Amino acid sequence: MQNIPKELFTPATLNENEAEKISKPSLSFWKDVTTRFKKNKLALVGVVLLILLVLMAIFGPMMNEFDYRTTNLANANKAPSSVHWFGTDELGRDVFTRTWEGARISLFIGLAAAVIDLIIGVLWGGISGYMGGKVDEFMMRVADILYGVPYLLLVILLMVILEQGIGTMILAMTITGWINMARIVRGQVLQLKYQEYVLAAQTLGADVKRIMFKHLIPNSMGPILVTMTLTIPNAIFTESFLSYLGLGVQVPLASWGTMASEGLPAFEYYPWRLFFPATLICITIFAFNVIGDGMRDALDPRLRK
Amino acid sequence: MEKLLEVKDLEVSFQTYAGEVKAVRGVNFDLYKGETLAIVGESGSGKSVTSQTIMKLIPMPPGKITNGQILFDGEDLVPKTDKEMEKIRGKDIGMIFQDPMTSLNPTMKVGMQIMEGLIKHQNMSKGNAKDRAIELLRLVGIPSPEKRVNQYPHEFSGGMRQRAMIAIALASSPKLLIADEPTTALDVTIQAQILELMKELQKKLETAIIFITHDLGVVANVADRVAVMYAGKIIETGTVDEIFYNPKHPYTWGLLSSMPSLDSDEKTELMAIPGSPPDLTNPPQGDAFAPRNHYAMKIDFEMEPPMFKVSDTHYAATWLLHPDAPKVDPPEAVKRRMKNFSSEKLRKG
Amino acid sequence: MNEMAEKQKLVEIINLKQYFNVDKPNMVKAVDGITFDIYKGETLGLVGESGCGKSTTGRTIIRLYNATGGKVLFNGEDVHGKKSKKELKKFNRKMQMIFQDPYASLNPRMTVADIIAEGIDIHGLAKNNKDRMEQVYSLLETVGLNREHANRYPHEFSGGQRQRIGIARALAVKPEFIIADEPISALDVSIQAQVVNLLKKLQKEKGLTYLFIAHDLSMVKYISDRIGVMYFGKIVELANADDLYQNPIHPYTQSLLSAIPLPDPDYERNRKRKVYDPREHGYSRDEEVTLREIRPGHLVACSEKEYKEYKEQYS
Repeated sequence: MQNIPKELFTPATLNENEAEKISKPSLSFWKDVTTRFKKNKLALVGVVLLILLVLMAIFGPMMNEFDYRTTNLANANKAPSSVHWFGTDELGRDVFTRTWEGARISLFIGLAAAVIDLIIGVLWGGISGYMGGKVDEFMMRVADILYGVPYLLLVILLMVILEQGIGTMILAMTITGWINMARIVRGQVLQLKYQEYVLAAQTLGADVKRIMFKHLIPNSMGPILVTMTLTIPNAIFTESFLSYLGLGVQVPLASWGTMASEGLPAFEYYPWRLFFPATLICITIFAFNVIGDGMRDALDPRLRK
Repeated sequence: MEKLLEVKDLEVSFQTYAGEVKAVRGVNFDLYKGETLAIVGESGSGKSVTSQTIMKLIPMPPGKITNGQILFDGEDLVPKTDKEMEKIRGKDIGMIFQDPMTSLNPTMKVGMQIMEGLIKHQNMSKGNAKDRAIELLRLVGIPSPEKRVNQYPHEFSGGMRQRAMIAIALASSPKLLIADEPTTALDVTIQAQILELMKELQKKLETAIIFITHDLGVVANVADRVAVMYAGKIIETGTVDEIFYNPKHPYTWGLLSSMPSLDSDEKTELMAIPGSPPDLTNPPQGDAFAPRNHYAMKIDFEMEPPMFKVSDTHYAATWLLHPDAPKVDPPEAVKRRMKNFSSEKLRKG
Repeated sequence: MNEMAEKQKLVEIINLKQYFNVDKPNMVKAVDGITFDIYKGETLGLVGESGCGKSTTGRTIIRLYNATGGKVLFNGEDVHGKKSKKELKKFNRKMQMIFQDPYASLNPRMTVADIIAEGIDIHGLAKNNKDRMEQVYSLLETVGLNREHANRYPHEFSGGQRQRIGIARALAVKPEFIIADEPISALDVSIQAQVVNLLKKLQKEKGLTYLFIAHDLSMVKYISDRIGVMYFGKIVELANADDLYQNPIHPYTQSLLSAIPLPDPDYERNRKRKVYDPREHGYSRDEEVTLREIRPGHLVACSEKEYKEYKEQYS
């Protein structure tokens, strides 16, 4: 054994507070999640695309001198050029401007439908799951019945009774759209309501409102957010689909769906009229999907230390 | 006594997204034929990782054996491939885990799970394997084994499932049985039955057992020799009497004094070890136990202590055993134990 | 502590029953008619193996479950039955609970400060934000943690530290009675002593009364004044801690004690385990089995016949 200086064999002072110190900086759950999310290249691509789409939706229609509704029959069906970057449609309207106006409408409808689904779904599923018993059974049966109604029939019915337009479209989509979210939230709440921290809150005297909003829902945010990011593309697609069927927004407003609907018959000769709206629908749905997948992976508790 | 297993300088690390965690930082021990070695430690001590590494059950990546040898019957297991290990697992080395519900396949009949190993390792026919399975179930004390052999795990109680696990592990009469906290999840009375069963079977089959646990009562019950682990290293090792009646490492002192004994009265405060085990992504310089050690000296924060010899069978890695170290008074609870030891030695000696 | 105060009943449990899935084929009689008192300032230990009903008892007393039958009286007032929100909140302040799983008993999305202050927030016990934080800091220091821990999240702490946060949370409403439901079972041995020492210190400082539910008999004996042993939803023995260990009367208690391994190799080499079979009592269908006093302060569940036998053997 090598020579060790004797003075090292004197007692060291023990700081008991040191023993309790946490050396690493505070890392909240969300910081942890965003760190993992940022490592997912595909998800980051999705985020970039989404940001670009939103920016273009805001600034796109102002970028050239055309507006979305002025017709100019002499200029009809012109191919993309340096003047009309995406070409013109059969009424001579600038496709570029119309595309980005359409983006505003499609994104708005998608987002609005998702948010309404979120609010109704979280409240319905949360209350149903927490109350349990007969309340739960009743609420879920109502949801089941609504779910069983043929969706398209319902939408068409609404479109016929009410005035066609953005409001009606959102109503049609959210009448049954919340059910998925409700089921997911209910599932989470059923799991969480027997957790000891919920029991602790009950013994402290927390009322139902507090338990729902401070304990159950925050701990369900993961699946809620993932469901929401996957609901938005669904809503956008549905809007496009309904518009395509002629049940969407009215002229002269444009959404990607109406533009695709108008562009399809002319596809052989004037392909750009279908190409741009259709491509953007795809890109948008793709972006939300990869973001949603990225979030789901980032929130996976197994990957946490 | 013949040596069955020699673990030399074993080091195992895991790559996590927080960095490299050195779970096992240089573990050395021997195991002799037919004896029971208890590896005691708390969470994060590295005891489970050590035992799973012996069976090469650690997924690599993210795990990695960064150093050392595992000599089983003279052969080093470290360089062996998974295929080579498959011939050894279930045949020469058996393993029992803590939670019988997740270690038994819920969709396979219990009998079949016993027979699997027999058919594979001993080339038995299905018929012979089934007979042997019934015999094994009887051996581990499961009533009506002819019926039970065709049942599924969920039809067994917790204690019975653990017995079934023992049957599976011992089916091919392995030379070594690794039991990783086999009774931690069981009630006290069931635990007692399982421990009795294991000792009985060990006598019959002459199997060596590595028994991993954090319960010192269980250690006193089953072990011939004990290895105490802390932060990825063995800090003290000796016979069961040496460890319980003449411990030398402050961590062992801490463990023994933090438990109430049946003759302690309410007035004496339990000696708690302050703080928590260290973060192994950044193992400390010097003795890992130093920040929580009432008896720490300056040198504990600078250099890791080597193993000091106390007797031919008893070693402890603490600077307190260095000739230059001052004589210290172990805690009351430990002093009482040491009194028993000396009188024991006189009685035996 | 003078005799009078010591003997004052704080909690009275009278023929308490808790059945799950009543009137269904899978009905479980988790708690099947138990009666005992908890005196002010004492620690009553409740032990038994899994499924004996000890945790259910604790949770029923604090009204996490509504009792199927029987009564729980706190300072003479009925805990169950129809109560207004205000009355229920009153009980919340008097009785609190510490839970078993340090990983599941703290909301992972809340900071330590919010977790500890939840009771303060619900009952409006702080004048303003500054007062609230001061109370939180004071509670953190009481349980041996640092003020800096207030803004951190549960996952940054070890099991022992989390249990202490749970204790701070319970203390925030200044309760008189705390039910500790297996508070140390999930902790390492060296950390258990930290938490037990803390609980003892708090009891002395604040005059708390504890119901300590656990299955680690050595620890229960250390911390408890009296101990109740449960078996399949009933109490089979109730006595002073020392008396229970030195003179276990009920054969189940004897079997339980004989099965505990102790960290003493000599004792282990000589220990003989006693096996318990409930059929050995040979009770007939209408034989009354209740808790009867065999020695002063030492009650055992037995029939009339057994009572006479025990009295002869043990008095």
